[in-house]
Amino acid sequence: MAGSKARPSSKKSAPPSHAGQADSIAAELRLQHQRAELFAEVTLKIRQSLQLKEILSTTVSEVQRILRADRVLIYQILPDGTGKAISEAVLPDFRSILGCEFPEEVFPTDYQALYAEGRVQAIADVRDPQAGLADCLVEFVEQFEIKAKLIVPILPHLNKAPAAAETLPANQLWGLLIAHHCQNPHPWSEFELALMQQLADQISIAIAQGELLEGLEEIVARRTAQLRQVNQDLQQEMNDRQQAEDALRRSEEQLRLITNALPVLIAYVDKKQRYQFNNQAYFNWLGKTPASIQGQTLKQVWGELYDQRMVIWVQRALSGETVTYENEIRWTDGSRRSVDVTYIPHREGSRIKGFFALTSDISDRKAIERMKDEFISVVSHELRTPLTSIHSALKILATGRLGNLSPDGQQMLEIADENTDRLVRLVNNVLDLQRIESGAVTMDRQLCNAAELMVTATESMQAMAQQHDITLSTEPVSIPLWADADYVVQTLTNLLSNAIKFSQPHSTVWLTAQQRQVEEIQFQIRDQGPGIPEAQLETIFERFHQVDSSDARKRGGTGLGLTICRKIIEQHGGRIWAESELARAVDFSLRCPP
Amino acid sequence: MMHRRVLIIDDEESIQLVVQFGLKLSAGWDVLVASSGLEGIRQAASEQPDMILLDVMMPEMDGLTTFRELQNNGETRSIPVILLTAKAQASEKRLFNDTGVQGVITKPFNSLELAEQIIKVLDW
Repeated sequence: MAGSKARPSSKKSAPPSHAGQADSIAAELRLQHQRAELFAEVTLKIRQSLQLKEILSTTVSEVQRILRADRVLIYQILPDGTGKAISEAVLPDFRSILGCEFPEEVFPTDYQALYAEGRVQAIADVRDPQAGLADCLVEFVEQFEIKAKLIVPILPHLNKAPAAAETLPANQLWGLLIAHHCQNPHPWSEFELALMQQLADQISIAIAQGELLEGLEEIVARRTAQLRQVNQDLQQEMNDRQQAEDALRRSEEQLRLITNALPVLIAYVDKKQRYQFNNQAYFNWLGKTPASIQGQTLKQVWGELYDQRMVIWVQRALSGETVTYENEIRWTDGSRRSVDVTYIPHREGSRIKGFFALTSDISDRKAIERMKDEFISVVSHELRTPLTSIHSALKILATGRLGNLSPDGQQMLEIADENTDRLVRLVNNVLDLQRIESGAVTMDRQLCNAAELMVTATESMQAMAQQHDITLSTEPVSIPLWADADYVVQTLTNLLSNAIKFSQPHSTVWLTAQQRQVEEIQFQIRDQGPGIPEAQLETIFERFHQVDSSDARKRGGTGLGLTICRKIIEQHGGRIWAESELARAVDFSLRCPP
Repeated sequence: MMHRRVLIIDDEESIQLVVQFGLKLSAGWDVLVASSGLEGIRQAASEQPDMILLDVMMPEMDGLTTFRELQNNGETRSIPVILLTAKAQASEKRLFNDTGVQGVITKPFNSLELAEQIIKVLDW
């Protein structure tokens, strides 16, 4: 197939006369018109299909028909340099070469390069030495009975569509459109050359379009796959969301079930103080359905009680503080109930979104506490009157003014007397402790002077100290403090009494005080007694706890004195503790005014 | 020690007796006895004692009501009254003091020391 480049031959007519010239021009115009129509017709046929195979088939058939060639074929160049005829129109008398593969030698790379630049080869007679075909090639083409051949390259990029230009490499030779005459040599006319080139261009366009289409299809397929994936993801997300919503709904149902079963008011209030959630207890207690409370403000639900008792706690909760307080509410049946209320702030980051409100009915507990307090109070009061009679009667008997007793009788009388004293102290202490613990007592704190309190306490204990042969050494210091004087004196006398009781005769008990910090005064009661074991330094403040209980009873202790002292000091916001190094000491500190 | 006549108004007989014995033995004072508020008011008016020991907790007419009645009566208004109470709380003592009584003595007390306490409270 290879050969030297040859100009296509054409028929030359004799010089024309004027009339002949006009005829000739008219004939030429007619011919051009026919050609244009023919091109258009063939192009239309080719373009009726988007299938490359069909396009190629139509092309070879049309070329064969119009050029009356014996064989027309499309030879495709494969990437490895070989090639094969992929479409063919051949007259029945001649051999078909469709499907024949030709080795690379038949069509070497340098020839391919020439065609890639747009070379057209028209050989009128393969045996004509001017055609420049090597003998071996002549022999090769004659295997296929080829007498004349016309070869036009198919270069898709030369007719490129804009999109295809980007996907195809420049000057790529896709294949060749080839026409053969097998009976006789055949001079190729301009028309034939033009038709072949025109159709090769159409094939190029079709290939470019096919590849573009393929690219588009690939893009469509890719996009479709992506869309499908997105769709699947979306579906999955919808399923997940549905599942999450179902789980949330179940969780909410469970939460509502649980909160509705609890005998506690449970609510969530937003920062505008509107109820966003409340449980069944609101209906059971207040006669208000959760739905009727939803969206209402605390003030709308609680009315005056909100202003009187709740608003300060609500404000504290909305400022981020967890608060607990007691309140009294009226139930729908008219009964008044004591309640314990807790507000827990709901934070999101640093912002407070609202708070959870838990309200429990503590009426029963309160009633029991009241009963206990009343019981202790009544018992204590009721004990005092008979105790007064016994106490006084024994004292009167002991004077001997109503008749003398035997020594044994005198001893029994002393036992009765001592134990009556102890019973009196016990009753007093039990009542004191109960009153402080129940909150019935409030410390009436006023500005007082440490020196005065120390002197008062010392004076009241002086008689007892003398009785026990103890020296009371007090160093009054004038420090102002903020305290309930009666209770501080009670604490001091209690501690002094303890120190005296547990000291050996002829020893000393000291009462001192000093300013520890700007707002703190520390009192100390110290003695030379036996000391307190390390492990009991803290437990001695527990009720009925004594270091040596038999010894303590002998000394007339009730086991409540230090507990009462601690309660009193704690009610003052102070602190009390025991130390026992060489000697014994009890210290307590109280706040004093700035 | 000056001789005095004291009226005790208390529904408890044992208290009446120990007060009687205690004041007599320790100070030689005479003690008049009333078991109820009404009886006490009557005796106070008729006997004009030097002072009255008045129990707070009594059935029918309690101590504070009795005290108000004594104050409303021209014949008894000037007789000093000391309350006897089983309530030992400081705040309660303040409350009783605020009613205008001359003093408060808490139970249990030693009746042999009662005369001294009365003298101290009434500044006799």
